[in-house]
Parts: sequence; C-alpha cells; structure tokens
Amino acid sequence: MNSLIEGPQAEAITVVLVEDDAPTLWRLQDALVKAGYQVRAAGTLAEARACLAEGAPRVLLTDLQLPDGHGVDLIRETRQRYPDTEIMVISILGDEESVISAITVGATGYLLKDAFPTDIAATVRDLVAGHSPISASIARFIVRRTQSTPEPPPGPALNTAKLTAREIDILWGIAKGFSYAEIASHLGLSRQTVPGHIKNIYRKLEVHTRGEAVFEAVQQGLIKL
Amino acid sequence: MNDHGDDAQPDLPGSERRRLQTSRLIQYLLLQAVIAAACVLALLQSLPGPPAQYQVTAFNLSEAGVERAVTLRYFSSLRNAMNDPPRFAGHFIRPAGEAAQAWSVFLPRFTNGVEVTVNGVVILDSRRDPAANRPDRNTPAIAVIPASVLRDGDNAISIRLFIWGPITGFLDRIYVGPDELLRPSYDLRTLIFVTLPVVFSSWQAILAVILGIMWVMRRHEPAYGVLAAAMAVGVGQAFLQTPMGGETPLSKLNVIVISSAPIESALVLTFALLFSGWKWQRYGWVVFIPGVVLALAGLFGDQALVRALFLVLAVPMVGITLIIMAVVTARSALKRQNVASFLLGCAVTIMLTCWISDLLSVFQAVPNRIFVSRLSYSVMLVAIGAGLTWRFARALNQVDGFAGRLVTQVREAEEKLKASFAREEERARAAALARERTRLMRDLHDGLGGQLVSIVALSERGNGSAGIGDAARAALKDLRLVIDSMDDIGGDLMLALGSWRERAMAQLRPHDIALDWRAVTPQGVPVHPELRPWHVIQIVRLLDEAVTNAVKHAGARRVTVRIETLAGHDGLERGCITVEDDGKGFEITPDGGAAGAAKAARGLRNMRSRAARCGAELELSSCAQGTDRGTRVKLTLPHRFPDSDGVAG
Repeated sequence: MNSLIEGPQAEAITVVLVEDDAPTLWRLQDALVKAGYQVRAAGTLAEARACLAEGAPRVLLTDLQLPDGHGVDLIRETRQRYPDTEIMVISILGDEESVISAITVGATGYLLKDAFPTDIAATVRDLVAGHSPISASIARFIVRRTQSTPEPPPGPALNTAKLTAREIDILWGIAKGFSYAEIASHLGLSRQTVPGHIKNIYRKLEVHTRGEAVFEAVQQGLIKL
Repeated sequence: MNDHGDDAQPDLPGSERRRLQTSRLIQYLLLQAVIAAACVLALLQSLPGPPAQYQVTAFNLSEAGVERAVTLRYFSSLRNAMNDPPRFAGHFIRPAGEAAQAWSVFLPRFTNGVEVTVNGVVILDSRRDPAANRPDRNTPAIAVIPASVLRDGDNAISIRLFIWGPITGFLDRIYVGPDELLRPSYDLRTLIFVTLPVVFSSWQAILAVILGIMWVMRRHEPAYGVLAAAMAVGVGQAFLQTPMGGETPLSKLNVIVISSAPIESALVLTFALLFSGWKWQRYGWVVFIPGVVLALAGLFGDQALVRALFLVLAVPMVGITLIIMAVVTARSALKRQNVASFLLGCAVTIMLTCWISDLLSVFQAVPNRIFVSRLSYSVMLVAIGAGLTWRFARALNQVDGFAGRLVTQVREAEEKLKASFAREEERARAAALARERTRLMRDLHDGLGGQLVSIVALSERGNGSAGIGDAARAALKDLRLVIDSMDDIGGDLMLALGSWRERAMAQLRPHDIALDWRAVTPQGVPVHPELRPWHVIQIVRLLDEAVTNAVKHAGARRVTVRIETLAGHDGLERGCITVEDDGKGFEITPDGGAAGAAKAARGLRNMRSRAARCGAELELSSCAQGTDRGTRVKLTLPHRFPDSDGVAG
C-alpha cells in the first residue's frame, strides 16, 4: 500500500474472492466490481474449489478461517495448480500470525478487511502489476526471524535462510517506516526495483513442496536424519 | 626451588637488554670486589694480644737431632713428629714480689699439639683437649703454672710440638705472665675460634632439620634434600673428635666423617646448581668422587693416608666448588634478580676470599697461621637461612595475592552471573509477553476483530450510519495499535513509528491529506533499552491525537512528521518527533489550553498528560493566520524513559 499505480486496466481481471462473513464479502465484492474487476465470490472452501475448477483466475483473495476448512490449504492448492495466479490473504488485523502463514504457502500479499474501497482496488491493481504490499509489522517480524535467538520465538515457523543482506536491509527500512524512495536512496537502488525485491522476499519465504519442507527442516536442524 | 616466572626481564629490544645485562653484571662484580676487599682488610687485622713484655720468643730448638736458636713464630717443615717432636727450650723471668699473682703460659696458636713444661714440671698437654686437636680450628691453650713450680727470677720453659699432619707444624709466639693479663686474650680467641663455631654448628643442625622437613613435604624440590644432607654432614664434622688413639672401627668412622668436607662441598655445589635451575644429570656424580675416594681411604687405609689425601683432594675440592658456585650464583642472581641468589653469591665471595687466605697460610705465604674457611662457612649458613626466610615470606605474600585475586575473580564471576541472570529474566519476560501477545492476537482475530469488520461492512451498506462505521474502524485501528505495541521492538521506537506511519496514511488517505514523513537523522530517534510497551502506546496515541486533530478540526491538506535526534542543552541526545499541519490553527490560552472548542481543549489536555507519563516534553504552537499558519506539536522524548507510570491517572 506504499504505492499506487494509476492508469486504466485494459482488460477485465478475474478475481476469486473467498470470504465467509456475508457483509464483508459484499463489501469487498462491491469495491472490486466498481473498480472493473470480474469477481467470482465464494463463502466456503468447497465453493472456492468449485470456482477455481472453472479455470485459473488472475488473483485469488481469501480469508483464512472458513466454515469447512482453512484458507491456507486453498492457497497451497492454488499455488501448485495455477502458478501464475497472484494470491492475497484477507486479514482482519494484518498480523504476522495470519499473513506469514499465508506467505509460507504461496501468498504474496495481504489485504485488511476494513480497508477503504479505493485502497482495496489499488492493492489488487498493484499486486497484478507485480508490487506486493508489505506492512511495517510484517517486515519487522521477518527481520527479527533473521536474527539468531537462543529459543525459537513464538508465532508461525519461518525460514529466512535464503534472504540476502540487501533484502534484509530493505525489510529493516520498511519496519522503521521509510518509504520505498527513501530505502532506495539509502541502499543505492532504483526506486522501481524495491517492490520487486519484496515479491522476491515473499517467494523466498515460501515452502514449495513437502520435500523442500523436509530439506529445510534438516538444514535448520529441526529434524535429525 | 626453581623460581619460574621470576624472570625479571621485561620485553626489551635485544641491544637494550644486552646493555642492561652488562650494567647489572658490572654492578654485581663491583659489589663482590668490595666485599672481598673488606674481607682482606678484616683478615689483616691481628687479634689483640696480651702486653708485649710477657712475650717469650727466643728459644733453643732441638729438631730431628739438630739444635739451634730460633725466634717464634716458627714454621716447622715436618709433617709428622709424634715420637721425636721438636723441642723448644727457653727462659722467662718472674719479677720478685709477684708471688701472690697466679702466672700462666698462653699459647695463642699451634699445630698440631703442644706439651708445656715449666721448671721440669709438665703443666699442659693440649692433646687431651679434643677441640685443640683440630688443626682447622685455631684453638688457643692456656695453663696456670702451679705456684710451687714457679720461682722468683729465672724460670725454664720447654715446649714439645707434636705434629701429625696433614699440614706442617707451627708455633706462634707464646706469652708467660700474670694470668689476669693473659686470660682476656685467651677468652677472646676461644670465643671466636671455639664457641662461635659451636653456635654455628647448632644453627647448622637446626637448618638440617628444617630443610629435611621441607624436602619431605616437597619431594619434587630435591635441592632442599641435598642441602639438608650437606648440613647434616657439616654438623657431624663439627661435633666429632679427631681420633688420637689406635685404629678402631669407631675411629675409622670418625675419620670418614671428619674428612667429609669434599662430600659436603659436593652436596652444597649440587644444591647451588639445582637452585639455579640446573637439572640433575648422570655425570653429576663426578663431583662426589673426591669425597668417596677419601671415605674409602678412611675405611681401608690408615689415618696418615687419609690426612695425606685430605690435603690433595679436599682442599682443592672446596676451592673448585667455591669457584663454580661463584659463577652459578652470579648468573642466577643476574638472570633472576632474586634476593636468595644474591645473598648466596655474597656468601660465596666471602668464603672464596677466606679459602685463598687459608691456602696462603698453609703455604706459609703469610706470617701467621689462622684458618678462617670453616668460620666463613657460617656466613653461608646465615645466607641460606635468610634466603629461606625470604622465600617463605614471598611465598606467603604470593598466597595472599592469589587469595586476593581469587576473591576478586569470584566477585566478578558473581557480578557476571547476576547480570546474565537479569538478562535471562528479561528474556523470559519478553518471551512471556510475546506468547501473551500471540494469544491475545488470536483471540481478537477470532472474536472482536471479525465483529468490528462486520460492523464496518454493514454500516457501509446502510445509509446515514457513517458514524458507526468510523467508530468501528477507529476501534479496529486501536486494536492493531494495542497488539503492535505489545511486540518486543528492542527499544527501537522507530519500529513502532513505522507501523504508526502506515496507520496514519490509511487514516489520512480518504481525506486526501498528504503525509510528509521526514526522518531527518538517519537513525531517527535513539534506541532506548528501557522502553516498555506502555510508553509506546502513550507516544503513539499522542501522535494519533495530533493527526486526528489535523483531520477533524484543522481542515489541513498536509501533515508533516519530522523525526530527529537533537542534542539537548545538557549535551545528552534526545529523540524529537514533530507533527505539523497546515490547517486553521487556533489560539492557545495562557494556561496552555486551546481557546474555543471544549473538545479540542480536552484533546490537548490528553496529549499533555500522555507526554508527562513518559517523561517527555510537549510543545504546542499554533498560528491562525499568515503563510506559516497551522498547528505544530513537538514531542521531545526523555533521555531515559521512567520505569513506572509517574503521573498516574
């Protein structure tokens, strides 16, 4: 949400929206439809799977707590089935608990449920343009995990081993409230490359397969073979 | 006895070090020369004698069948004359009228034995006095002439000089006179040459016991044992008598012990070598060969053989030992700069000087024959005693120092432990807080949060209920703030401000108000390790209040947030956060409140109270007109945040 890309969309972008709370669903759907997106709405995990079976959407927006299951499973399935679909989690508080668990299965952004309609549309547009949103508290959570601590901190598990020093510097900047432009000038980067770095960071935090999960667990000493 | 770590050489460059060593060597040698010179001077002093008028020096000597007139002192060329000893015949005059006074014959020095006859009556035979039979001691003899023997006028005196080696015979000038005039001189000589050696031998015996115990308790320091053995041998020598009779097993043993000087010197030499850090080698037994040869001679040969060998083996052995010791102790004293080696070195110099003097007197190069080697050995004993005491005192000091260091180290370790315990507690506290935060977050997420979102959504669908939606949104925002402030940010307020910036942007965006965020200093505000979540909440709510005022009351188009670190008037660095808008502004009443709206006034009071709780300073300025119109809220953070909520309520 740090940046807004202006400009009309040439073609209708398909969005699958999964949200069990009816008023919230209507609200989000409203905001997206008014912005010109083609929205398929679902209230349960089963409905969502049915929607996805019809074909790959450009964007998947999903809540995590669903009546018949967890949004994390839906994100994982979609990520494997439609690698080109951008996935965003709908979070009430934008807290690391929900956002990080979604990121590790393939989400590349989050949306606050009470966001203003214009912000909702702008966030989806940015995501499609390859700009993943990240909040200061999420950045803070990730960089804190890069620092070694004697005991694992509470919260979802996260493997930050693949992050580069530059990416960690960018996260520090975001955590301290610096804008992309400020971060870019501090680190000697082009302002345009910062959003791409953030998407890379999300991708690196993702645990792709079961095998990889096991491999990383071994790397981190969580499992002894 | 090896003084490891005693090396007093600091890390100096080679040339500097050599120069220092050379200067030390010169100093040491000069001191030893002074000591030797003092010794020579002392030896040149003759002991006070009785009045010269009682001296009797003119004698008729019949030696080996030849008769001639001699003047004492007399050096005989004979080494053995027991059966036909040289006989000195002379005269002295006792003035008439002195019959009431007892007269004596006083012989200051003779080797080896004398028999004195006055007027045909034997009055003294020194061979009966065991102390007098040791040629290495300068035992004097005195005998009172029985009144019945003495006559007024001319009296005849004859002396038979018995000689049994190992050195040639000698007879010093003798005195015949009133006993009370001769006695003081005799007593002085007895004190110096008889009593004093006994005293030193006692001291030597004590040393032998002390060193023996030391060696038993510290078996890894053989130097103590060797020295104890040397002392024991020395004591044996001093207290045994020269065998005068025939050959018996006991006399053989006596001979061996008395002639054990080479063994003693070999032991002392071994001690000196070990003391200076030398490791015992197999060839070290070489130094014991003269002693062993002499002992074997005593065991299988006769006394004459032992005496002959003693002169050629023992005397040079003592000299060689002294010379080696002089070198070894000098090196040790220079290299290690310790008092014990230095004292030992001085003692060796004195002994060496005395040994040379004795050698000269044996070869009759000096006019008298007083042996001082044995006496000078007492200097060595004193040096050993002093050295031992010094070492003991130093060891005690080291123990004290070590104990002191240990106490300090234990205290330091305790401090560290306390600190690490406090750190551990802090970490545990932070972990507990983080777990609590996670739990709270889940609860809020599942309950209150979802309900608030629903309220927002419902209010947007209905009409004219925008106020409800705003309230629900504000509640959600506050929820996020509460959760956020519970996060452990490690005292870096910038991390809390980063989240606040996002929330402020989200708040300002619908009102088309721009947020100009300026971190003036790169690190923003200083890190405060004492920063607690409740501080963060107060500061963020205060800033929220400033932004809300700009949105609701000022009608601003732009809000500027400046974050910087300023050096205060007391030189300490303080964080400073300024929120500025370009809105309407308002009049500030003299009491610091805002004129006009009661609501705005309450907001300002709230901000002041929050700042006071955190120990921060709040500055408000507002301008209603002009180009720089608007309101400015300047929050100066304290150098150190207060531990407790100072202004409660």
